[in-house]
Amino acid sequence: MDKGLLAYLLIPLLSAVVIPFAARNRPKLADLLANVTLLAGLVNLLWLALRPSVIAGGFADIPGDGFSLLLVSAVYLVGLCVTFFSAWFLDEKLPNRQAYYSLILVSVAAMTGVVTTTDFFTLYVFIEVLAVTSFALITTDDSGAGLEGALKYFFLTFPASALIIAGISVLMLSLGSLSFDALRVFMASDIPSGPVTFGAALIMLGFIIKAGVVPFHTWTPDAYQGAYAPVSAHLAGIVTKISGVYAIIKLATLLRFFDGRAQALSGILMFLGMLSIAVGALAALKQTDFKRMLAFSSISQVGYIVLAAGLGTPLAVMGAIFHLFNHATFKTVLFLNSASLEKSAGTTDMEKLGGMEHSMPWTSWTSVVALLSTAGVPPLSGFWSKLLIILALWEAGLKTYAVLALLFSIVTLAYFMMMQKKVFFGRKSQAAESSPEVSAPLLAPAVLMSAVIVALGLLFPYFYTYVKMVAERIIL
Amino acid sequence: MDLPIKLLTLAVAVPVFGAFLIPLAGRLSVAARNTYAVLLGLATFTAAAALAPTVLGGQTASFSLSFPRGFDFILHADLLSVFMASISAFVSAVILIYSLDYISHYENQTEYYTMVVLFLGSMMGLVFSANLLWMYVFWEMTGFASWRLVGFFRSDRDVAKANKTILVTVFGALCMLVGIIMVYFDHGTLDLRALHGQAISYAAAAFILAGILSKSATLPFSTWLPDAGVAPSTVTSLLHAAVLVKIGVYAYARIFGVTFAAPDAFSNTVLYLAGASALVSAGAALIETDIKRIIAYSTVSQIAFIFLGLASGNKTAFVGGLLYILMHSVAKGGLFLCAGIIEQNTHTKDITKMGGLFSSMPVTGAAFALCSLSVMGIPPFGGFFSKYLVFAGAAQNGSLPVLLMFFVGAIMTLLYLVRLFYKVFLGEPAGHGNPREGSYTMVASVMALALIGLALGLLIHYPAVYTELLTGSLGVNLQ
Repeated sequence: MDKGLLAYLLIPLLSAVVIPFAARNRPKLADLLANVTLLAGLVNLLWLALRPSVIAGGFADIPGDGFSLLLVSAVYLVGLCVTFFSAWFLDEKLPNRQAYYSLILVSVAAMTGVVTTTDFFTLYVFIEVLAVTSFALITTDDSGAGLEGALKYFFLTFPASALIIAGISVLMLSLGSLSFDALRVFMASDIPSGPVTFGAALIMLGFIIKAGVVPFHTWTPDAYQGAYAPVSAHLAGIVTKISGVYAIIKLATLLRFFDGRAQALSGILMFLGMLSIAVGALAALKQTDFKRMLAFSSISQVGYIVLAAGLGTPLAVMGAIFHLFNHATFKTVLFLNSASLEKSAGTTDMEKLGGMEHSMPWTSWTSVVALLSTAGVPPLSGFWSKLLIILALWEAGLKTYAVLALLFSIVTLAYFMMMQKKVFFGRKSQAAESSPEVSAPLLAPAVLMSAVIVALGLLFPYFYTYVKMVAERIIL
Repeated sequence: MDLPIKLLTLAVAVPVFGAFLIPLAGRLSVAARNTYAVLLGLATFTAAAALAPTVLGGQTASFSLSFPRGFDFILHADLLSVFMASISAFVSAVILIYSLDYISHYENQTEYYTMVVLFLGSMMGLVFSANLLWMYVFWEMTGFASWRLVGFFRSDRDVAKANKTILVTVFGALCMLVGIIMVYFDHGTLDLRALHGQAISYAAAAFILAGILSKSATLPFSTWLPDAGVAPSTVTSLLHAAVLVKIGVYAYARIFGVTFAAPDAFSNTVLYLAGASALVSAGAALIETDIKRIIAYSTVSQIAFIFLGLASGNKTAFVGGLLYILMHSVAKGGLFLCAGIIEQNTHTKDITKMGGLFSSMPVTGAAFALCSLSVMGIPPFGGFFSKYLVFAGAAQNGSLPVLLMFFVGAIMTLLYLVRLFYKVFLGEPAGHGNPREGSYTMVASVMALALIGLALGLLIHYPAVYTELLTGSLGVNLQ
């Protein structure tokens, strides 16, 4: 456990416990407590990472491996956007408002646990906590769709947990320890790695399912579409990334793919990543529901991260980390905007919308920023992370993968252009006449995240320095 | 910072960052926004043109910001970039002035001005970038601005064509990025100054060429450009004539003309592609009946002549190609803006419904005729000299099939422009109620462009000296 960041786990947990009691008769207090908790945490984290003196020193003063700090910041940032959005989005008379915020805070705490832990068993515990809270959060929307999504989530992620715990047992038997360092040291030695790799592969498979990588992706569109709008932003923006993708990157570095140990696993992982990019993008082209399209887009973007993690060279890991963070920013914007559309126009069916930019200019323009970043259009942040991934692939001699990954950006752009055409661009539809722009507090999270996207794109050298520091620390 | 470096950064920073303040100016008042937008255009042109004495004096100016992994942001002013930047900024400024009236009764004006100025800024960035990666960055930014602009009228058809435009050009750009990555791993740098005179592999050159051809709407990527004609005339004028298609040509001149030594077989392929493009699009222009599509096809055809000049591999042709960029920007910009006046006042783009407009729109008609003569290449207009030099240079290299293709293309240019002028301005009026002449600023802008086209022909000495100096000092692998 990275003790320096323990407070970021405990405080939201404490808030989660306090909220049901303190806010029993005053539902608005739940909003306030949740937001204040996350805001305070985020301000603290920013102070840790972005003090002028730290930046000037090339981030050498960052405690720990830097990766945890970055991801905890991402968790808090997305969490804050979601709670802030929810405070204005949720129906006044929602019966279990307190439970909703408690669940979000518990899931923030669990994610903090996932990214700060240093052994597999603790990782497993927090992953399970996260799975249970996600399950409960999906069912906050007690319509049929919510239940369907939740059940699909349940039936796919719990077998995944079983695989993970089986893998952990194999690892325990063959390695004698469950700490990350033990695995790292073992992989750096010359001992034949058979059973250890097998155990790691089982764990990896579990996380691949949880990350929604093709061919285990079928649960994500239903879960995202069925869930309550801010919940899908929370799930797609950060939860599946932490509970699945983060662990894949972590394992990839521990297994030292760049050394050529566990080569088969690395090859399979890259293949699945490429497959996800392709399948996700092509499936997204055919969607008519905004949220479902975003879900498939997530699958495709996760493919890029998995592809890079599978390669595992320092440059690829940098690209993967950068893209993971970027994905959290742009997917949150898009999902929150879909929630705004749902609130204002009452639907996310793209066939029924059109010309929304006239009535909802802010929603439209933040979507444009986010989608261009997703498609890797410069100078936004998504361009740089994709470029790093593609350079890494090319450098490793995997030119086919590099070119394919690059050209699938055009498919990404194509489905987003289609979406933008149907929803925002174009002549005013009836829906646009009757749906006003949502209120400023609902826009604030999307605008904030769009600003982060632009800033990360323009301040790429700083972020690069940070990510490079992280890659050096976690790989060496 | 020295003055040239200040001018250089201003020429890029003023329009790029200034564009994002246009929505704020729009909050103040319409007049403030319009004035501000035009001022941005003029300031950009002034800054770019003011660099001319520096580069003519044999100096260059560079500004750089350090980025990791050799992705340094480098702005570099030399003869070629100042030449190109001045032309683009000048035509853009004229278009902004013309827009004041043209666009004044449509929706989304604030977005229009923002995107036009952003486009101009990205173009400046692209032209001055001396790092291939940053050329790509600005390249995509121009694509983004043109996407919003082509979809300006917002009907399903407009937006679909806007999407087609951006998808075709971004596909090309991604191919170019593959080529850039190849260069990066072959040479270890993307700094064009360091790459001067190096060899380039066929694969990298082919990928970069795909990007160039898609942006300059040359075969096999030409189809998006006539479709983009759904946009307002100012946009088609800006995109087609002055700036967007010239991006591809400029990139060709920059990458294969003055940086890498392009292999001969590669240049020959480009010549044949360009020849085919010239013929096919001239043929299309002969049978089309939509005035803007005719001019758009004509642009595709003329761009091929520029490629002929740039790819022929000798100095005469290269000088001709550069002059062609200048002459064509001015003349084609004028034609598009004339088409805008005609379309706005007759409410149609179909030339079969026009005819006899000369009596009601004499000034527009005269400007249209002057610009057409320049595009055809009739002396003493500027277009004559550029076309002559291109042919003279190409003849020296003596590839007869190529020459024949372009010769036929040039004759067809004559035919379709005469046909267009006849159908629109002469002959019997066909179902229109003698529309009014365009407004004062609009007519003044087109007349200015027409007269500049004539003046450039009469004073051909000065641009010719400039381009010869450019070719002599920067050209690589030219005979």
